[in-house]
Amino acid sequence: MSDPAATQSDAKSFLAHRRKKETSAAVLIGDKVANWVITVGGLLVIFAVIGILVFLVRVVMPLAGSGEIAPPIAYKLDAKPAVWLNADEYSTIGARIAADGQISAFHVPTGRQISVPDFDFDGAAATAVGGVLRRDQIAFGFADGTVRFADFGFEFSVVVPRNMPRGLQRLDETSQLASDGAVFTELPRDQFRRVALVSRLHEPQQISEKAIVALDYRVGGTVERPTRSFVTFDAEGVGRLSRAETQRNLLTGAEQTRISTSTLPQLPAGVEVNSVVMTSSADAVYVAGGDGNMYRFDTRNFAAPVLAETRRIFDSGIEVTRMAFLTGEQALVVGGSNGAVDVFFRLQQEGARTADGYAMERARVHEPNPAAIVDLAVSPRSKALVTQDEAGNIWVRHSTSDQVLARFERTGNPATASISMMMARVDGALVVSNDGTVDYFRFKFPHYETTLKTIFGKIWYEGYSEPTYTWQSSSGTDVFEPKFSLIPLIFGTMKATVYALLFAVPIALMGAIYTSEFVHRRVRATVKPVMEMMESLPTVVLGFVAALILAPIVETWIGAVLLAFIALPLGLMLGAFTWQSLPVNVALRLDGIPKFVLMFAVILLTGYFAYKAGPVFETVLFAGDFKAWVNGDFGTGFPMLFIVLLPLSFMFVTWAFNRAVGHKYRERERELDRAAAGRLDFMRWGLLIAAATVTSLIVASLLSATGFDLRGGVFDTYVQRNALVVGFVMGFAVIPNIYTLAEDAMNSVPSHLRAASLATGATPWQTAMWVVIPTAMSGIFAAVMIGMGRAVGETMIVVMAAGNTPVLDWNIFNGLRTLSANIAVELPEAVVNGSLYRMLFLAALTLFVMTFVINTVAEIIRQRFRKRAFQL
Amino acid sequence: MSIATMGKDKAEAQAATKGRAVRKYTADISAVGEPWLWALGGALAIGIILIAGFLFMIFWNGVATFWPQPIHVVTLANGQMVAGEPTRESTYRVGPELLASLSPEARAEVEGNGGYADRVLYRTGNYDLYNEDFRWVSRFDVASVEAPSGFYLFERQEWGRFVGKIAGLTLDEDRKDISSLSYDEIRRHQAEARKRWDAIRYIEKSEIGRVNHYIEQERLKLRKAELRYGVDSPLYASAAAEAEPRIAELQREFAALADRAATLKAEDARYRIMLEEIGGRTKETNLSQIVRLYPANDVSGPQKIGIYLSRWGEFLGSEPREANTEGGVLPAIFGTVVMTLIMVVIVAPFGVITALYLREYATQGKLVAAVRIAVNNLAGVPSIVYGVFGVGFFAYTMGASIDQLFYPERLPSPTFGTGGILWAALTLALLTVPVVIVASEEALAAVPRSMREGSLACGASKWQTIRYVVLPRALPGVMTGLILAMARGAGEVAPLMLIGVVKLAPELPIDAFAPFIHLERSFMHLGFHIFDVGFQSRNSEAGKPMVFVTTLLLLFLIVAMNSSAIYIRNRLKRKFAVGQF
Repeated sequence: MSDPAATQSDAKSFLAHRRKKETSAAVLIGDKVANWVITVGGLLVIFAVIGILVFLVRVVMPLAGSGEIAPPIAYKLDAKPAVWLNADEYSTIGARIAADGQISAFHVPTGRQISVPDFDFDGAAATAVGGVLRRDQIAFGFADGTVRFADFGFEFSVVVPRNMPRGLQRLDETSQLASDGAVFTELPRDQFRRVALVSRLHEPQQISEKAIVALDYRVGGTVERPTRSFVTFDAEGVGRLSRAETQRNLLTGAEQTRISTSTLPQLPAGVEVNSVVMTSSADAVYVAGGDGNMYRFDTRNFAAPVLAETRRIFDSGIEVTRMAFLTGEQALVVGGSNGAVDVFFRLQQEGARTADGYAMERARVHEPNPAAIVDLAVSPRSKALVTQDEAGNIWVRHSTSDQVLARFERTGNPATASISMMMARVDGALVVSNDGTVDYFRFKFPHYETTLKTIFGKIWYEGYSEPTYTWQSSSGTDVFEPKFSLIPLIFGTMKATVYALLFAVPIALMGAIYTSEFVHRRVRATVKPVMEMMESLPTVVLGFVAALILAPIVETWIGAVLLAFIALPLGLMLGAFTWQSLPVNVALRLDGIPKFVLMFAVILLTGYFAYKAGPVFETVLFAGDFKAWVNGDFGTGFPMLFIVLLPLSFMFVTWAFNRAVGHKYRERERELDRAAAGRLDFMRWGLLIAAATVTSLIVASLLSATGFDLRGGVFDTYVQRNALVVGFVMGFAVIPNIYTLAEDAMNSVPSHLRAASLATGATPWQTAMWVVIPTAMSGIFAAVMIGMGRAVGETMIVVMAAGNTPVLDWNIFNGLRTLSANIAVELPEAVVNGSLYRMLFLAALTLFVMTFVINTVAEIIRQRFRKRAFQL
Repeated sequence: MSIATMGKDKAEAQAATKGRAVRKYTADISAVGEPWLWALGGALAIGIILIAGFLFMIFWNGVATFWPQPIHVVTLANGQMVAGEPTRESTYRVGPELLASLSPEARAEVEGNGGYADRVLYRTGNYDLYNEDFRWVSRFDVASVEAPSGFYLFERQEWGRFVGKIAGLTLDEDRKDISSLSYDEIRRHQAEARKRWDAIRYIEKSEIGRVNHYIEQERLKLRKAELRYGVDSPLYASAAAEAEPRIAELQREFAALADRAATLKAEDARYRIMLEEIGGRTKETNLSQIVRLYPANDVSGPQKIGIYLSRWGEFLGSEPREANTEGGVLPAIFGTVVMTLIMVVIVAPFGVITALYLREYATQGKLVAAVRIAVNNLAGVPSIVYGVFGVGFFAYTMGASIDQLFYPERLPSPTFGTGGILWAALTLALLTVPVVIVASEEALAAVPRSMREGSLACGASKWQTIRYVVLPRALPGVMTGLILAMARGAGEVAPLMLIGVVKLAPELPIDAFAPFIHLERSFMHLGFHIFDVGFQSRNSEAGKPMVFVTTLLLLFLIVAMNSSAIYIRNRLKRKFAVGQF
């Protein structure tokens, strides 16, 4: 009735104009619109849930995507044997060095040649070549036993159009060539990137009398003080390790290079050197021999290198054709004449039969190429590599995730020798063959680091002694191997949830039963709203309290905390049995609120006792230092076993008592009046406790005598921010949730059921146990599920108090990292749409699905419960 | 005794009564379940003790933080002196290395105490001289403790607190005799210096900020013209020509303001104060750098109350300093309130409409069951997932498109394409909508059927009935839901960490420049403030008092909101219990 006046006039004209009775168009339209808006709005909730899910899935999907492969491009240079190949990271300029020192540079996308000065080898031809991973510093070996260093890199700069030189030649839509060989590529926002090849050949250095046949060259040290080292093998099979030191004369500016050389131990006679690699710090040299063995030299002592290990790599008859380090020089890729591509780690091993205690471990076996490996080219920025075989197959792989990303074939005759390289950004590969054919393969795999196996499976990472589940998303360096296993995070989430629920569920449910069934209505009227209010307590506050206040206290008073776990139940039982022994009239008079107050007093007293007696307890059981004990520094497993076995043996002893004399005892008890029966019961309880203590002592000492020890499992090294604190505080956070819902469920059990039970003579305890709880069971269960859902997703408490170490153990004294904390810690730093970003979305999706399942189950159970409670 | 055996006993007892005289039967003592009752009651008591203890601890620490403490001068056994405010005491276990290094008497004392010793934490301040703010002093180390007069506590603009004496005061290049100056006179000079500092700050922040804002506006206008017409077009040229005099004018204004600030600063530098710590080292600084000073051991009761209140005033009404560990939280309060209000504006219609759908429109069936499950899932999804969704969808997807369409001139620096207060409010709205739906539904259900039927019988349409009969009745219930949602939203931190909360926001989300409400800006938040100060400041111990006060404030806000919601709900219940017709 929007307008009373209008209604009135409607009424007046009721008889006169029948037509006016119709509802006005405005009302009808308003109704239609409201109908439509409200229905759409109501359904929006479903769309919101589905929308969140779909969005998360859409962000995560590319992780599993295979990527794109563009059609390969091929072009021709003049036919010359190629010894080295480099291209800049933006795939602008490629450059080939021929054996005679000629440099052919070309524009990578089009193949247009760019004229650059050649290296002048004085007419000699390079017989061996080696270089650093970034391919910009190389060394050539010659037939006369000399070695020459060369710089072969690129320089980059960003220029604005007015600073660009005149007379540029257009190469393609975005690139132009300057007369000095530099290429300008258009960037967004009206800028250009200048890329130019920088090459410089150094003076020759005499190393050997014989021709150099194999060579590797590394630059280590820091940018300010680089150390340049190389290893050479000459035609007679003599290996030499050399260091070059360049000193610049400050006055004249002239450089002088001094070379110090030591000879490697002789390889077995007749072994041909197929491939040689060394580390940047020049502490190890690996030689692939033609006999199928790998020879590892320990060169930490530069003056006296040792042949540390000789290792058969493949079955006899199969040669190691190529070797290369992945970035970081932790993983050695070995290519075989059967096409095998295996990765070896040098690991410290006990009982290794090698000179230095390390041994080569075959960590990964990748899918083999169809024919003998002829070249391995490694990406300088990731664990990706290109393997080339005799049959002209070019496979792009990623080692950590054990994938072949792309399979290409060379154009032209596969029989001509060729060399290959991987583009720095893992978006292309170049292959140059001796007949001058250049193949440029383009591909884009944005998330090659992640596969189902790397996310959920065990992966053998570099530097690890076995395959593990590891989460370690980033570190400062380029050579880092990202480790994206969600397993430790899911495990951490479960660990935190389990410990939180272990604490929260008993307290919340028992408190709820007491509130609903036994306590005065006035107490309930105050406790319930307070609990409801605690539900919206900001968890950041709890996290702060947990980490900065509780964690140090628990660490200092760990003895008292442990004692409290024993003392609180004992104290309450003591109170109960004392209460039973009271004369009936006293007990009746004090029933209700005074009794509840008494329980408070008992708990506070026991707490105080635990605080005071904690150090003594720690001294008696753990020699005064629980943390050292739990670390395994001394002692046997006895004390903790004793504590853990106490409740178990009490249960056992009670059971045995009931089995043996329970019936008779009860008969006897019934003869007595209530107070006397109470006293008798008190005595029985005392005896049972004593018996349980003795049983526990005996069993614990027997078990610890057999070497059984709880340390190393649930109890292990103590860390300040640990699962105990997290469980305690997160339990505290979910207690209100579970408590409120469970109390509601029990409260909604119809009171006529209670009345009927009490009327048949059941005590309130029996009524609660056998009537109320079974009826409310599904509601209680739903309450626990919802509490669990909250614990699973809780973020701030774990971020602040859990220490955030992604470890896989149940140790209650160790930290953990949950999915939610991981997202909160790492997402602000993650590059949008990068692998880590999408992994974190996957973590969020996992959380979403976990809580979705838990909540839906809880909701279905709760709806069923409501229906049933309604029918009663 | 276990439950199972008890059930059996009961059956046996019943069997036994058959054979015997019925009167003989007395209830088995185990039927009362006294030990179990104590376990249940104990659990409830533990819960209540935990909550009460927690609240009391927050309350006590929060309230006591700003109370001026005396400065104790502790002479250690080795003759070293430590001056500071006693902060707290604790008992700790003396490590073996430390124990070995102790004097025999001290060792005997510790060993007599079971290897434990008492220690006191002194807030020594003087971070610039000591490289630490706090110092633990073990009881066995102490030779004497006194609270001598003349020791001042200085709260400084930078470097935190200073504990020591005033060694000298230079006013307008005129060295004053300290002994002739009373505390009130020093305070008066300090207040004057502070006023000058405030003036400088006003010029630097507000006035120069305003000029900078307009210069930036001009730059953006130009850039927009450039993007739209191209850099060589006549339209751009004319825009540039127009902007030039305006920019020049603004720059002149800027120079004038900078001049004025420089003059004031030069004046300010003529008022200096020399501070001296207990060990005799001195530190000279501008008098205006002293925010507050008082002779801690000589202040009277009323003065203490004055200091206490002025600290609260600073806390509630000013900006943070010293990496948020000192000063106030006004921007955080402001950010929290604005964000929560925007959230409520978004969540209210959405929540009410869904509740209306569920209660008034939908026919009960599979679809409604699905909506209900969806609502419950929305309530159960972890807040961090909302944060992830918010940052991915709102900021990086929607926001990026908005930037492309409407703010191309500001790119590549994002406007809406990054976390901001609007996105945070939207995210939290999603998070809190179930609260509103459930509460509104309850309120709608509480409206008696007879009222609807009466209205419909009078010829009102469905929407008219809802609009004029049902909704006004349900309004208090809806309000309850909204307040609960606000309480939840105000305390949530995890999603905000991902989407727009910063430790120090340069600008408030609402200010004097058009369009006045800047929805794209990042903001500060009380909850995040707690996290930041407690965990990311250089010394979490120094931040602890601040964290406690901020926690108290946040808890107060949330408890106030919750209590009002509960109050409204209770009144509503009472009203409808009798208010039917």
